[in-house]
Amino acid sequence: MENIDDLVSRLAEDAGVIKPASHPYVLSLKLIGAGAIYLGALLAFSGLRPDWLEKFHSIWFVAEILALVGLFVVTSLSAALLGFPDQFQKRNQVLAPIWMFTLFMLLLIFEWLFDGHPAPLPVHNFECTFSIALTAIIPAVWTFYALRKYASTNYRLAGSVSLLSAFSVGALWLRLHENTDSINHVFEWHYLPMLIIGIVGLWLGKKLLKW
Amino acid sequence: MTEQNENFETLMRLSLTGDQQAYAVLLRKTAHLLRPFLAKRLSFSNEVDDLMQEILISIHKARHTYDGNRPYKPWAYAIAKFRLQDFLRTHYSDHLRHAVDFDELEETLEDFVTESGLSYESISVEVQKLPEKQAAILQLMHQEGYTAKEVAVKMGMNESAVKVAAHRAYKVLRKRLET
Repeated sequence: MENIDDLVSRLAEDAGVIKPASHPYVLSLKLIGAGAIYLGALLAFSGLRPDWLEKFHSIWFVAEILALVGLFVVTSLSAALLGFPDQFQKRNQVLAPIWMFTLFMLLLIFEWLFDGHPAPLPVHNFECTFSIALTAIIPAVWTFYALRKYASTNYRLAGSVSLLSAFSVGALWLRLHENTDSINHVFEWHYLPMLIIGIVGLWLGKKLLKW
Repeated sequence: MTEQNENFETLMRLSLTGDQQAYAVLLRKTAHLLRPFLAKRLSFSNEVDDLMQEILISIHKARHTYDGNRPYKPWAYAIAKFRLQDFLRTHYSDHLRHAVDFDELEETLEDFVTESGLSYESISVEVQKLPEKQAAILQLMHQEGYTAKEVAVKMGMNESAVKVAAHRAYKVLRKRLET
């Protein structure tokens, strides 16, 4: 115990006034706000799809966009909570992205089932995934940068939801920008890569958020 | 003046305002709280002490993530579990890295017995300098006459782990005695 006592004395000498970290809700609002501004800037620069007014009269399209926004919000909140060692003692909210992602996938399946007049597949494919991944880099960087100031004890999961949050910003941008109506294409090249991104996030979380 | 019986949350709130005495009391109380938790999961007291130090340093580093408005114990336990998992992961990966081929082990053990004219008593000082677990195993096997199997039962390990630990101890001893 002598070593422990020495250590305690040394740590106590080092104890100054500490400003507690922002509440996770505040942090998540910052992440969401930054993501929204970035998305707005991207759309202002690249432009909305030409038929956006018409598309917003389609219930399936609106539901898809809302679910994507929901996914962005819950992953941002989950990432913020995961920055705290005890997840701010709100474990249910940490796991919310699982439910939101399931809901999102179910919605896409229904959209596909009820798609009476399937749109033709566009000529491009992997370019969409690539564009989403490129636009997701900036939100991913700031989310990881923010989380590195905290002390995650679930760094793999934190990395995974952070990347999903960033990727959902990219997916929102492309869905609102690209004039594609093929649900098969959107499912395969816009949303399915999210699973791979989630796995990459597990690895990245270990590399960047371990303390 | 900080009261010893103040609760964790109050102590942490005081610590965040720079009260060094409250912080020292908090860390001691935390160490006292976590010791049984670690002792239940680790076999040796030196491992518990080493890990406890790491946990206290982690608590120090992460103290800005505690605001004093939610229960302290789940926060401290989360850090303790995190460091314990890290410790066990490193511990077991070291074991695998240093795993010894049993054929080689048998040969070395025979060599040691036939070539060495040393008694346990003559090298007991060197044995005591070994890590606690290895020293305990050698003492049981060579001073008290237990077999590897009996030592395994006594120490709650499996027989092969005892043999591997003994083999490593022999290697260290051989090096030290040769120099």
